[in-house]
Amino acid sequence: MTDTRNKEDGLAKARRILKEYDGPKVRIMEVCGTHTHEIFRQGVRRLLSPKIEMISGPGCPVCVTDVTFIDEAISLALDHGCTIATFGDLVRVPGTKKSLQIARGEGAKIKVVYTPLDAVEYAKEHKDEQVVFLAVGFETTTPSECLALSNAIEENLTNFSLLTANKTMPAAYEAMKDATDLYLYPGHVHAIIGNQICEDLVKEGVSGVVGGFTGREILTALAIGVREFEKGKPFFKNCYPRVVTGEGSPQAMALVNEMMEPCDQQWRGIGLLKNSGMQLRSSYAAYDARKKFDLSGIVGKPNPACRCGQVLQGQIQPQDCPCFGTACTPEHPVGACMVSSEGACSAWYLYGELTSKPLTDETV
Amino acid sequence: MCVGLSAKVVSLKDGMAIVDASGAKRSVSAQLLSNLNPGDYVMVHAGTAIAKITDDDTDETDSLLEEL
Ligand code: SF4
Repeated sequence: MTDTRNKEDGLAKARRILKEYDGPKVRIMEVCGTHTHEIFRQGVRRLLSPKIEMISGPGCPVCVTDVTFIDEAISLALDHGCTIATFGDLVRVPGTKKSLQIARGEGAKIKVVYTPLDAVEYAKEHKDEQVVFLAVGFETTTPSECLALSNAIEENLTNFSLLTANKTMPAAYEAMKDATDLYLYPGHVHAIIGNQICEDLVKEGVSGVVGGFTGREILTALAIGVREFEKGKPFFKNCYPRVVTGEGSPQAMALVNEMMEPCDQQWRGIGLLKNSGMQLRSSYAAYDARKKFDLSGIVGKPNPACRCGQVLQGQIQPQDCPCFGTACTPEHPVGACMVSSEGACSAWYLYGELTSKPLTDETV
Repeated sequence: MCVGLSAKVVSLKDGMAIVDASGAKRSVSAQLLSNLNPGDYVMVHAGTAIAKITDDDTDETDSLLEEL
């Protein structure tokens, strides 16, 4: 345990390293939406040397939710009379013609829940309704969704199912590795899956640091990252060891692997990525809403004006999109990146460079 | 929806845990983690404790920086 004076010194040191960095130009991709949001909220970008560029990757689960998935959910609600249970962020994501929010105005029954376990409770209390939970998310959210389903099965519920669009981070790391010099890996994902993937990427020449989510943790990870980057050799450094251990969370992974298997998955704006998702195994077909209600044949079309794909791949910044701040705002999102506060377009809109407050000791 | 939080287990009952996340108490599922005890630290995500973590020692960042 260090004393308070040392604590401030540590933070000051990280800030100084990032401000004075004069090594080779480095593009750092924060893959996770929570990092995107916190980096803006804490004003981290303003502290960085001009030689450091932060780009946002595809790790906000709402932003990469495919148009077809939203269309499927709307069809479940309007054509099949299902009750949709979902995390709140998904309600405003545009489908081909409308969002779930608009469908609600047309009679769709939508229940916003904080956890998939609440959706099971709702199904238990409303046995006359077919409740479908919209299972999106990465390695951090998938275990809760599997747990919810396993509880529903234990309760003999036949009116609960999942519409899955679960995704896995390693596929995103592989797909985006040429867009970045250095990854800021999300700590909570690696608390589940461990660090092996990061070590493996080093062998492919891909560098990264895994970091936590407070201002202090983000700055520390970035400072260590640029210092290592300067040395010119691919590396991985765990900057969040109190949370991220080598092996991850075996119990969570065992439950997911028992109920789900890897599949190819559509990423909004990016396309089909091989082995980048998880779907229910065929032994759980009775709880797979896509099979239970036969949703085959639904193919969504994204709005051609939206440049989310390029934003998510670090090719453009949100303000380079012609819709940004005009046709597309958080109140009227054209694309998914403007919906959730974890989305890059929304973060730029809400916090933009000029309005982001400087990082002070109180904010970390 | 993606925000995880670290929290300290206060009590456990019937597969649920009362956790303290920076002073805010909430009830989360503890079904995914066996051998949890009051006083343990966990990472909570979407209403479920998904991983056991070492502790909430925020001084960790300083020791990491000392190596630079
Ligand atoms: S500003 Fe809106 S339309 Fe443009 S890329 Fe972002 S979400 Fe898509």
